[in-house]
Amino acid sequence: MASTTMSHQAIGSTVSHRPFRASQFLKEPLNVPMNFIPKRFKIEATASSQVSVIGNTVLSPSKNKPFESKKKSNEAALILIRHGESLWNEKNLFTGCVDVPLTQKGVGEAIEAGKKISNIPVDLIFTSSLIRAQMTAMLAMTQHRRKKVPIILHNESVKAKTWSHVFSEETRKQSIPVIAAWQLNERMYGELQGLNKKETAERYGTQQVHEWRRSYEIPPPKGESLEMCAERAVAYFEDNIKPELASGNNVMIAAHGNSLRSIIMYLDDLTSQEVTTLDLSTGIPLLYIFKEGKFMKRGSPVGPTEAGVYAYTKRLAQYREKLDEASLK
Amino acid sequence: MATATSHQSIVSFASHRSFSSSSSTISQCLLREPFLNLPISKGFKIDSSLSCNITSKRRNFCKVEAMASQTETSVSYDNTLLSPSKNIPDISQKKTNEAALILIRHGESLWNEKNLFTGCVDVPLTEKGVEEAIEAGKRISNIPVDVIFTSSLIRAQMTAMLAMIQHRRKKVPIILHDESEQAKTWSQVFSDETKSQSIPVIPTWQLNERMYGELQGLNKQETAERYGKQQVHEWRRSYDIPPPKGESLEMCAERAVAYFQDNIEPKLAAGKNVMIAAHGNSLRSIIMYLDKLTCQEVISLELSTGIPLLYIFKEGKFMKRGSPVGPTEAGVYAYTKRLAQYRQKLEEDSEVLCS
Repeated sequence: MASTTMSHQAIGSTVSHRPFRASQFLKEPLNVPMNFIPKRFKIEATASSQVSVIGNTVLSPSKNKPFESKKKSNEAALILIRHGESLWNEKNLFTGCVDVPLTQKGVGEAIEAGKKISNIPVDLIFTSSLIRAQMTAMLAMTQHRRKKVPIILHNESVKAKTWSHVFSEETRKQSIPVIAAWQLNERMYGELQGLNKKETAERYGTQQVHEWRRSYEIPPPKGESLEMCAERAVAYFEDNIKPELASGNNVMIAAHGNSLRSIIMYLDDLTSQEVTTLDLSTGIPLLYIFKEGKFMKRGSPVGPTEAGVYAYTKRLAQYREKLDEASLK
Repeated sequence: MATATSHQSIVSFASHRSFSSSSSTISQCLLREPFLNLPISKGFKIDSSLSCNITSKRRNFCKVEAMASQTETSVSYDNTLLSPSKNIPDISQKKTNEAALILIRHGESLWNEKNLFTGCVDVPLTEKGVEEAIEAGKRISNIPVDVIFTSSLIRAQMTAMLAMIQHRRKKVPIILHDESEQAKTWSQVFSDETKSQSIPVIPTWQLNERMYGELQGLNKQETAERYGKQQVHEWRRSYDIPPPKGESLEMCAERAVAYFQDNIEPKLAAGKNVMIAAHGNSLRSIIMYLDKLTCQEVISLELSTGIPLLYIFKEGKFMKRGSPVGPTEAGVYAYTKRLAQYRQKLEEDSEVLCS
């Protein structure tokens, strides 16, 4: 399908063949040619800026702050959050990549999700380029006990990068880079986008629609199949997210039903049959521990409280303990 | 310059289109056109190949004159926002010579809370900021909104989205994506009915907060230590002195007002009701233009967060309809007759739904 060829156009800086070390972003001193300083207003039409940094972890070891335990731990947490109800979910319209925001309920779900992961370390956040996932991430993080500040990175142009630069190292250390990537977008639903189920059944026939929704490799007209969605989502995960985990950075991904299932298919080694029946709850985060190259599922929280639901590793238990100590001061 | 992108146009909201003035056939006269994703400058991508007519008028904002833009090259979006639905006649969409303009400044961000200079660093809202957005939404829940402009920063976008959750008309805001061909294609909507129930949201860097250069991320103490208190005070309070590698208020105003004139004012002139969700400095800049303030006046202008400002655009003029100070929205905005009718229809419509 034509759209997959688009993945070869560098959109933003997340070219899939180059590892994107988002974690290094906040350490970089700014080296910008003079003509991008705002005074001039002369903007060069530039190729997308490549923030490709290869390096280690963002936080320098600091004796005062026990959280900065960025000694290269061989364990990292991976949180997956599927956004909650959007305004088109409510209206029962096929959404796909149309950028529709959350409903009041979806906002509530994001906050609830945040409470469930408020004790789990987060060093980096990846979201799709759609507002419902980004809002979910930002709302969830308002609940986080560590109180670091998520900062959305802008790499769409050199000017964007320049204008969003942070000039205090102290502040950078207290920040969590947020990377928006279209590769984590919901499956693109082509000509079904904006249609309701009735319209769609009328236009194409109930059986055909069922096939598009439930099959693995059959795309709706001008849309993506689940297979195509998985291809770009998992590729992005492998190229950009997994290396961060391997470096010991704790990652949160806020995305969509299909892009997350695709990633889970990769993490859990599922078959295409298994993935088509996989359903992710909205607003209920999944936790994985990445250790020695393997992904271990730590359970889907089903209880109303987060305690006792995630099987904590020792490292996570220590992190939580430090949060408790810090809040007592 | 960024405003040059306004010269790319696909569909024009040229005012030469005529509409019936009879209320029963208003919506039927509206032309239905396909929903288009237009190459609007989003994010920071600027096409430097387009020329731009920046008149010297724009440079001197201390004596700004109202410029009702008649250009046909103004950017326009979806005409099908206004559905010819008989149930909810969008009275706001007959070619009235009146349009509402709502300005909302976002609420508390995580760096506001920490007292850090934010500028164009993309920092999200706190819980308080979220609530402020919801409150703001309640205040404007009865005022028609056809198109929304935001900055490219999440705190303004979230503010707009949260505010619109409260809106009684229940149209769905949809953020337009034009950062690439794929982004445009992928975000396309294939149902006319759905399009007609949508409100396009246009993010644009020209509405961003004033870029604070080397102060971004610093707290006030750090800054005073690094540069000296007097110098910092000068940057914060002067009109034309930028912080190192940053923008002065004047520079911010230049790109914000230019954007407003090229892209927003034409919509108002065409009868579209507009909401702008942005930042302290970009909004003051626009208000300076709307209210014809002097440089001195704009420096001391403070916008409340979460409390929307309402202007009525009519016959080329901007009339301030008051800053709501009361706890409820009623009685605070001086409604025009048209707005009162819109509100009435919302009431009737909600009664129909409940019956």
